[in-house]
Amino acid sequence: MTADGAILQVRGLRKNFPVDGGRHLVAVDGVSLDVAAGETLALVGESGSGKSTVARCIVRLIEPSGGDVAIDGKSILSLQPRPLAGVYRRIQMVFQDPNASLNPRMNVRQVLDEPLRLHLDLPRAARTARVRELVEMVGLGAVHLERYPHELSGGQRQRVGIARAIAVSPDIVILDEPTSSLDVSVRGQILDLLLDLQKRLNLAYLFISHDLQVVQHVADRVAVMYLGGIVETGPTESVFGAPRHPYTRALLSAAPVAQWGVTRTRLRLSGEITSPIDPPDACRLVGRCPLAQPACATAKPALIEIGDDHAVACPVVTERIPTC
Amino acid sequence: MSGELLEIENYSGAFRSPTGELTPVLHEVSYRLKTGALTAVVGETGSGKSLVALSVLGIQPPSFVRRSGRILFRGVDLLGLDEKAMRKIRGAQISMVFQDARAALNPVFTVGRQLADVYQLQHGGGRSAAMKQAIEALRRVSIPEPARRARQYPHEFSGGMAQRAMIAMAALICEPSLLILDEPTTGLDVTIQSDIMELITDLCRVGGLTTCLITHDLGIVAETCDEVVVMNAGRVVETGSSQAIFTQPQDPYTRRLLAASQLVEAAA
Repeated sequence: MTADGAILQVRGLRKNFPVDGGRHLVAVDGVSLDVAAGETLALVGESGSGKSTVARCIVRLIEPSGGDVAIDGKSILSLQPRPLAGVYRRIQMVFQDPNASLNPRMNVRQVLDEPLRLHLDLPRAARTARVRELVEMVGLGAVHLERYPHELSGGQRQRVGIARAIAVSPDIVILDEPTSSLDVSVRGQILDLLLDLQKRLNLAYLFISHDLQVVQHVADRVAVMYLGGIVETGPTESVFGAPRHPYTRALLSAAPVAQWGVTRTRLRLSGEITSPIDPPDACRLVGRCPLAQPACATAKPALIEIGDDHAVACPVVTERIPTC
Repeated sequence: MSGELLEIENYSGAFRSPTGELTPVLHEVSYRLKTGALTAVVGETGSGKSLVALSVLGIQPPSFVRRSGRILFRGVDLLGLDEKAMRKIRGAQISMVFQDARAALNPVFTVGRQLADVYQLQHGGGRSAAMKQAIEALRRVSIPEPARRARQYPHEFSGGMAQRAMIAMAALICEPSLLILDEPTTGLDVTIQSDIMELITDLCRVGGLTTCLITHDLGIVAETCDEVVVMNAGRVVETGSSQAIFTQPQDPYTRRLLAASQLVEAAA
């Protein structure tokens, strides 16, 4: 893990939601991650893996049940609303559905002016100039400033969402499925924009996605989540090139490729995702895993470093190789 | 019967606004579905791919106005049939699977009951015989414990399981000659998507079912489909075998779509 220079540090993050009968749905179960300046860490997983809950806990849109989140080494979980607002100058978020995350009654100018008013002490003229600069940075023009969200295409709306996130010059942006609601041709343009902004502004991204192709394209490092926990993490090339955890292998081998003549050897998981309500102290994949051993049902495996910053939470695959 | 099961010829039409204005949305769409083949109709939002499929079943939105064209199913123009004749075609000969299976199922009846009802409607017979067929159909689409699952309601099904049940209904209970699937795996996780696509290809390959897959995802097309129709903005821009479309795309739009779908090189 890159502990040095990490802007965002998450340690043992937990989030439980109470459900009927005094039981708990464990959405996030001890997630730790670091994001360093200028890098992209992708959080990958299928629906119900808890990846969006992690994002929402980090920015405290929902309050975590346990663990710690620190920006520049300072915990933000105990902060009162006013000092927390200061943190939002460092960390911002882009949401999946720009239809839902933009106020339909605010035009683009108002959407972009709001964070400037809330977070920066700027005179009106400076804010106006900054709003103009922002629309241009995301590839829109002055003509779009007076438009309302319904007058924009899906791709343009997502550009506005990105402009709003970078308005206060944050160091890290959490992108929660930023391209999932877009057509593939627009997806490419938005990804290009994000990569370009990252370079220009030295932004760090926590990129949450279920789209493996997108992740492979943009991420420096990847963390794969399954049922609330990280099962494998490492540099993008090694996780995609040499996945070790059975879940990662199943996930990667299921992803279709838009090329002729590519044959995949699928690693299959049996059945469906198991219930996250009061899960037993066992590997979350037990019962679906083709490699499962009796020991897998007795304890939840921890991430084990296998070298090259690559870690896997599966003793069955890691014990066969020497630990570095 | 060999050759083409369905031929769409110069199908054009427009949407009529409340004020009577016409907005053209389909421009001389022509494509053919070969008997026994799995054909993909690929396009992005607004390409008209779903609208054409809905027209095949005669369930296009009321605001859609046809301007020209024919849809020939076994040589008969479906657009010339009255509602009574269409009802004999729907389900029995052409059936359709929609994107959101849980929304397509009726929430107040058990899944088994819905399959059994369709079985009785298509084939007659008694309730208990129909329920047996329903359970058998659920078993054939690999739903575990089909007898128990048949007694459950749609909300008790996951998205992937509900889509299996819909495929069981559309393909196995109805036994159509043509199965149209409109974005059947959109919104499902990749591992589930892969399973559903294997089920669809099995039905087509083993059962010889002529299948039309409407999708925006070229990834699932490359490894499953025989023929591809590419649509953009209400026009068919290119048709050909999967291999030809993926290895030698001719139309500039097809090339752009392919490039946008291939962010990364496939691992060997």
